[in-house]
Parts: sequence; C-alpha cells; structure tokens
Amino acid sequence: MEHIEHIEHTESPKDMKAQIWKTFWILFAFTVIDIVLYFFLISYHSMIKNWLFIVLGVVKAYYIVGVFMHMKFERKTLMYSIIIPMVFVVFFITLMIIEGDYTNILRWVK
Amino acid sequence: MATNTLSTEKKFTWGGGKSPFNVSYGKLMMWIFLLSDAFTFSSLLIAYGFIRYSFQSPIPNTIVKPLAEVGHNFVEQMNEAGLFLQDHWPSPELVFNHFPFIHGIHLPLFFVSLMTFILIFSSVTMVLAVEAGHRMAKGEVAKYMLLTIIGGAMFLSCQAWEWTTFIGEGARLYGNPYGPRSFAALFFIVTGFHGFHVFSGVVLNVITYINVLNGTYEKRGHYEMVEKVGLYWHFVDLVWVFVFTFFYLI
Repeated sequence: MEHIEHIEHTESPKDMKAQIWKTFWILFAFTVIDIVLYFFLISYHSMIKNWLFIVLGVVKAYYIVGVFMHMKFERKTLMYSIIIPMVFVVFFITLMIIEGDYTNILRWVK
Repeated sequence: MATNTLSTEKKFTWGGGKSPFNVSYGKLMMWIFLLSDAFTFSSLLIAYGFIRYSFQSPIPNTIVKPLAEVGHNFVEQMNEAGLFLQDHWPSPELVFNHFPFIHGIHLPLFFVSLMTFILIFSSVTMVLAVEAGHRMAKGEVAKYMLLTIIGGAMFLSCQAWEWTTFIGEGARLYGNPYGPRSFAALFFIVTGFHGFHVFSGVVLNVITYINVLNGTYEKRGHYEMVEKVGLYWHFVDLVWVFVFTFFYLI
C-alpha cells in the first residue's frame, strides 16, 4: 500500500525567531502579573478572583499552544478538534469550583 | 495505464493517500495523545477545584510580611496563631515560603516562581531547536536541545527539593500540619504526576539529543522528531501553567 504522500509545508512566519522571543516576554510578563495580583488580592476571596487567574492561565495557554506548539499555523480543522474539547474542560473545572463552594456552604448549614 | 488509474484515484477526497489535517501521522497522533493526557490532568484539576472549594478560604495573613525573619518552628507558630486550621485551606504563601540556601526568611512563592520561569525558558529553547530543525542546522538543534535538557533537569531538581522540604515539615499523603488532609495529598499526586511527565520529557529529549548528535535526522532529511518531542515538552509547560495557577494562586 502506498503510504506517504505529499504534505504541504504549513505556513510559518519568516521571522519565527523574533516571534518566539516576543512570546517568551509575553509569557514572562503574564507570570509576573499573576504573582503581583496574587499578593495584591491576597486577603480578598471571591469567585471573580478565581476567574481572573483562570483567564490569565488561558491567555498563557493561548500563546504556548498558538506559537510554541505551532497551532496558529496549522489547519483550522486540526485546531478546532483539539481546542474545542479543552474549552469545555476548562469550563468544567470552573463549574466544579463553584459546586465545591456550595458544598462548603452546606457543611456550615448542618 | 497504471499511472492513469493512480491519478484518478487521487482525485477522490476519501480515496486514501491523503494526510488528514495536512499534518504527518506522527504529529497528528502526538496531538491526539496530548488531548487525552490533557483530559487526565483535567480530571485531577477538577477534583482539586471541587475539594479546595468545599473547604473555607485561607485566613488572611496579617502576621508575616514577605522578607520577614522567621524561626525554625514557623509551622507551629502559624498553628498557634490560628492561620492553619482543619476547616480552612492553607494559604499557599505560608506553606511554600522556602528557598534553597536561604534560611529563616519568609519568601512566599519565590521558589515556585523561579521554577515557572525555568520551565518557560526551557520551552523557548525547545521551540528554538524546532526552528533550527526547519533550517537543517544540526549544530544549533543540538545546542538548544542540550539547553532544554538542562532546563528540565533544573526543574526536576527544584521539585525534588520542594518535595523534600514539604515532607520534612510533616506533609504526607494521609495528612499534613497545614490544614485539611487532602491538601498535601492533592499536592503530591498532581505535582507528582506532572513531575513524572517532566521526567519522561527529559528522557525523550535525551534520546532525541543523542540521535541529533548521531546525525539520524540529518540522514532522514528532516527534524520532525524534534518537533514531536517539542509538542510534548510544550504540553508539559502548559500543564505547569495550570498547576501553578490552581495550586499556588487560587
């Protein structure tokens, strides 16, 4: 059986090196923002704070998957088949955090 | 005649001989594996999110400021001060406040931030190795692969040190001096599972590095193996982003 075929070289930008370093500094900056926010909001507990950290995590994930893992330059079909399940999973994690919060309230009701 | 048949066959979209998604078999399978691995990690993080929030939030710490001097019996002091309670999840800044070679100073999350930067940096060297591979620059690929391996080994050493300190303070799978039992159990399981992934990544990187040095990929005509190992390595970094967010920030 004829096995291998012609795979078009997926488009990647010519200045890939510059883009890699740019992504590195973005990730670095977001991590610093994460840590600064953690200390800034340390005595403040609310779901909004959790959402904030999760969103910052997702932003970092976007840069890692998009540039480092080359996903931005792959076919859209591949991108969606990998990303969409993960979107729901992140949603699930957030839902379980909210659910856990209700469990906590129930503990105090009894 | 034979060539004719072949060319008509090629016209059909579902006639075979085509690569779905326009990526090679190996890369597609790596993506599928990473998706399934992401589900595994997610199940751990879902469990963590639920258990963490079924306990009370940490008590605000107004006693110890960053860079303040602390004694050897820090955990007992915090217990006496009422900052570590069974119903309250412990504040990560009071648990992870150690730094190698620096004793007696409260350095909240400094060490884990350093670990995060090490892993991000090793991700950059990995992607630079992939980029060099596209240009068939063997020397550069080898150089960046070596830097990635060093970064991974540094991260693993950091984690070993953190675990040692954590266990030294009395944290076990069945209990810990900081608060709810499940705190240390979840920490060991999730960071352990992630650390095992880092370890596997370093092993894969070493194998690929040896192959690069031997010229295996040069003979093959492409450095796709570096790309595939790179995908795995970036995934490990990606998981760390979320482990860091959930265990140390939330």
